[in-house]
Amino acid sequence: LCCGYWDMAALIRGLRAGRVLRGLGSVAVQTLSPQGSNVRRAFHRTILLQLVNDSKSDTSVPPPSYHEVHTAGESSSSSAHGESSEDAQPNTSFQDQSGEHGEDYETEEQLQARILTTALEFVPQHGWTVEAIAAGAETLGLSSASTGMFNNGAGDLVLHFVTQCNAQLAETLAEQNNQVQLGQAESKKTAEFMRDAVEMRLRMLIPYIDTWPQAMSILLLPHNIPGSLKHLSTMVDDIWYYAGDRSTDVNWYTRRAALTGIYNTTELVMVQDSSPDFEETWAFLDNRIKDVVNMANTAKEVQATGESVVQGLMGAAITLKNITGMNQRR
Amino acid sequence: MQRAAKCALRLDLSRAFCLSRSGTVLSVMQKSLPPPRDEEEKAMLDSMLRVDHAGEYGANRIYAGQMAVLGRTRTGPLIQYMWDQEKMHLEKFNEILGEHRVRPTLLLPLWNIAGFALGMILTRIEGTMSCTVAVEESISEHYNSQIQTLMEAEPERYTEWISIMLLKNFVMMKKKNRDTGLEHDAESVPGYLLLKTVIQVDCKAAIYILQRI
Repeated sequence: LCCGYWDMAALIRGLRAGRVLRGLGSVAVQTLSPQGSNVRRAFHRTILLQLVNDSKSDTSVPPPSYHEVHTAGESSSSSAHGESSEDAQPNTSFQDQSGEHGEDYETEEQLQARILTTALEFVPQHGWTVEAIAAGAETLGLSSASTGMFNNGAGDLVLHFVTQCNAQLAETLAEQNNQVQLGQAESKKTAEFMRDAVEMRLRMLIPYIDTWPQAMSILLLPHNIPGSLKHLSTMVDDIWYYAGDRSTDVNWYTRRAALTGIYNTTELVMVQDSSPDFEETWAFLDNRIKDVVNMANTAKEVQATGESVVQGLMGAAITLKNITGMNQRR
Repeated sequence: MQRAAKCALRLDLSRAFCLSRSGTVLSVMQKSLPPPRDEEEKAMLDSMLRVDHAGEYGANRIYAGQMAVLGRTRTGPLIQYMWDQEKMHLEKFNEILGEHRVRPTLLLPLWNIAGFALGMILTRIEGTMSCTVAVEESISEHYNSQIQTLMEAEPERYTEWISIMLLKNFVMMKKKNRDTGLEHDAESVPGYLLLKTVIQVDCKAAIYILQRI
């Protein structure tokens, strides 16, 4: 409890004094509670630089919606690379209760996103671990004990990275789609589009490729599987949507299953690839996509053949009925 | 068989009248859906659209089944006309689903076969009218509950969608009143009550499952 108190003192140094003291006053009672969870909650509260009236300082902030965390994460990652927390932070939270105090207003989720984004720089050095998060927090001027904010530890870091990559991919695909619709670019064929999209997404792993097997194993931990599956399915859905898939039957499922298979196997090949600029990976990707396209074409041919056969048989049956006189209308 | 055919004929005539109106209704619906605001709302819209899409798909297959049996009889052209209307509805729903990135139900292949079989069966049994009445009661109830959900969520955002569903309900009710005479005929079928209950329970179960899967 003693160290917790000193860490909070370090926090005060890093943050604007007046605002935090106001927050501190309200949580001072909770700080001295012997229960660990209360300390963590108090810690969270002091991190909330919320400029609201004292009466409201006890209310917890509802989490912003998914894409707002993204925009917060992205805008802060683009503007913040190792900058201290004293710089102006983008106010993208929707809960603007005190509009006049625009600056220095950040929710817990936004702060977490910023810490994790900064922590990514230390991944090559520390791997996907809590140490990387601690190093990132320290770069932002926060104490390394702020890793206590992340219940899932390294899992949080990996999932944050995956979220970031997927958001970037979706943005780029949307941009390309825009250009095609404005007539500024030509639309690609489906196979080519798939290939480019998967390659783009996998290239985002290149800076972390040495430690990526560790990240993959973290994503396979039972408590991370729901999250990672959801991200994977959202990404695959995004790619197919921008490829122009509007199917509303079983094809919806088969196409996404196929792309999931392609993506996962190519990812596995990539972490073992040592060729220059991952040429072998892209060649593997090409072949897999060709396979799927072939399979789809074959399936279509089989179906067409089957239909023709059935029609032929029906024709033969009707002819037979005509010959034997069974086909007269009564 | 004669009576079933007569029932089917009168049913089809009245439905043709109603459905020609609901074709335009669906085209309004496509533009009236505002994009969802957050994940909860998207999930709710998703499941509702999924159920409605599956319903249209099933209706399509039922008509296909009926056509397969009655295609070359007197009621053939009428059924074909009704089927074409349903195809239009299904196309519009497909567009809506694609636009809002809603996942279609996994049970579609099953629905395909089940609908076709049901269509074929419906032409054979005497209780066609009672089946149809029971099904439409279930659908009406389902639309009512959807309307209630939308009203509870936020009536202003969904005004158009709600008014469309109210219109469809109204159309079905009017048809039911017109067909009350026929229903008396249908009630003379033995086991009518049992059949009706079974069908309504099936519809409820189907709607429940389709919302999730």
